[in-house]
Amino acid sequence: MTRFVESTITFPYKRSLGPVTGAFMTALADKRILGVRSGSGVLVPPMEWDPVSGAELAAELVEVGPAGTVEAWTWVPEPTEAHPLDRPFAFAFIRLDGASVPLLHAVDTGSPAAVRAGMRVAPRWRGRRVGHITDIACFVPGEDAQVDGPDAGAPGQPVELMDYTAAVTYSTPVPEMADRAVAATRERRLVGLRCPTCERVYVGGDRPYCPVDALELGPDAEVDLPTTGTLTNFIVVEPVRYPGQTETEPFARVFVLLDDTEVVLTYQPVIDLPVHDIHVGVRVTAVWAPADAPVDTFSGIGRPMGSLLGWTPSGEPDAHDPDLVNRIY
Amino acid sequence: MTATSTSTSQPRTSTDIAVIGWAQAAIERRTDQNETQMLMSAITDALTPLGLTRADVDFTCLGSCDYITGQAFSFVANLDAIGAWPPKRDSHVEMDGAWALYEAWLRLHEGDIEIAVVTGSGRSSTGDPSLIYPMEMDPYVLAPLGADLVTFAALQARAVIAAGLADERAMAEVSIRSRGKGTVDELLAGEYVREPLRRHDLPPITDGAVAMVLATGDRARQLVERPAYITGFDHRTECHNPALRRLDDSPSTRIAAREAGLDDRGVEVAELQASFTHEELLLRHVLDLGDDVSVNPSGGALRANPIMATGLARIGYAADHVFAGGTRALGHATSGPCLQQNLICVLEGRS
Repeated sequence: MTRFVESTITFPYKRSLGPVTGAFMTALADKRILGVRSGSGVLVPPMEWDPVSGAELAAELVEVGPAGTVEAWTWVPEPTEAHPLDRPFAFAFIRLDGASVPLLHAVDTGSPAAVRAGMRVAPRWRGRRVGHITDIACFVPGEDAQVDGPDAGAPGQPVELMDYTAAVTYSTPVPEMADRAVAATRERRLVGLRCPTCERVYVGGDRPYCPVDALELGPDAEVDLPTTGTLTNFIVVEPVRYPGQTETEPFARVFVLLDDTEVVLTYQPVIDLPVHDIHVGVRVTAVWAPADAPVDTFSGIGRPMGSLLGWTPSGEPDAHDPDLVNRIY
Repeated sequence: MTATSTSTSQPRTSTDIAVIGWAQAAIERRTDQNETQMLMSAITDALTPLGLTRADVDFTCLGSCDYITGQAFSFVANLDAIGAWPPKRDSHVEMDGAWALYEAWLRLHEGDIEIAVVTGSGRSSTGDPSLIYPMEMDPYVLAPLGADLVTFAALQARAVIAAGLADERAMAEVSIRSRGKGTVDELLAGEYVREPLRRHDLPPITDGAVAMVLATGDRARQLVERPAYITGFDHRTECHNPALRRLDDSPSTRIAAREAGLDDRGVEVAELQASFTHEELLLRHVLDLGDDVSVNPSGGALRANPIMATGLARIGYAADHVFAGGTRALGHATSGPCLQQNLICVLEGRS
């Protein structure tokens, strides 16, 4: 059975709006909806360029709506977390009064039987508005705009940025060879995969292929590798703060050429070797987690691989080979 | 050449470029394989019957999508399936493999290389498509509403029905023809997913990969008996926001078809990337396909819909018609909500 790993990735976008979309968002915070003149028509939301001809528009903004007419609709019986309402609703093309194209938004009618093409709708504004398309909570039947709860008023300054955050959960298969490589580290073994064609050896198992010969490598390609080696390259990271960064002090990742092989392990954690002492030629040996310690099965660039926590100086004299600096992969 | 120029019956280039083989991998609801593994077998299966190896390939172009994979630069890992030695020219498009084919076709016109491999690959089961697709919509006014692909398809279906080009029965018939399952009355008894669309109007969620081999001139003729020559190829796009478009028409498809030379002579087979039943009916209308044209004999995107490879597979099935002795076929691919961008590839056999 293939193991799948679940991970949720959040995309926290902050977008600059420009003069036309910025004016549209600023007006939304003030409970007004703007369009832009294009020829004899009015486009809502306003665009900087005509969508058909590509011609730059003069940014002549005009107020439309706030009420309008449903042109077409569909019913959303099971809303997702990304939708504007958490109960069943209609998505509709709404032709706001004075506009020549429809605007997509949600219409809250309770049931599909209560929505029809040609019906009149008006916005239900949020009480607290920031200059965002969701300042309109949804549209509701009728001619009159509403406000949800107390009206906090407009922020009083132009809206230049907007937030958009999406989160997606991914379920990704883990190659069997990656799990086998992690399992080997519990026995304090480092296994590689040797390509039967070119004899190159690859470590990790998360990409169990020979990229030179485009071959998938299975259990019969496994070989045991030495657990001592020499530093050929390193990087000292000055941590800056970003979501997910837990390091606060400068830390290093090193590249290790395993003894008697051509195998270089990249971006390895280093243990008991201060960053100012790191240099090419340091002899190192693997550091393993205690046998009963829990193992993180998520391996990624710069992280421990299973029970292989990283590398520490072996105490041997430095290796002095000028070619070491060329062994970065 | 501008969108309004008239097409000619002459080939637009002097270089013969042909599809000479293709293969698919996985094509199932949820595979245990990752994209690299699927591509590994698809590429091998496309090259081997031709007597070619990866060493014979001069250029590769891969189509895939990081949002679907959930990994930045995910196509870099897919290069493991290409074979790094001897070195080859490589490119990538964040689009369906049909657009990778377009780039390879352009590249082969330079005349200095002979063999190209293009792929499309995706694991749709990796994430929830209804959450991923809104992220590809207009980032200011559509994505923040979670405006999903099926909602837009439903609104386009309303427009196509209102224009008299479809009704729910005709849409059910498209599903039955594509999938070979059910009767119209059975299907119309189902619940709406997004009115007027029911489950049978929607494409399946499919994982899979497609690899295709192209060759130029004499090399193509040496490798296969009947190459499928690309005699017309064009793609066009429309405004990103479906609310600003006429949804009962597809002008980009019409222009691409004209530029690809479809006005001059008809085709025997049309493989259309119609992911929703009403899209097939709209495309038939826009392309003016008569009853004598066999549409989607493969079952189309309604039978298997490996995202990022579905369009390339259409061109593969169109090539199959030529390989089997047919004279002329078209493959259509699309991208974006409500048929936003459309590609037409015309393939011909020669006796």
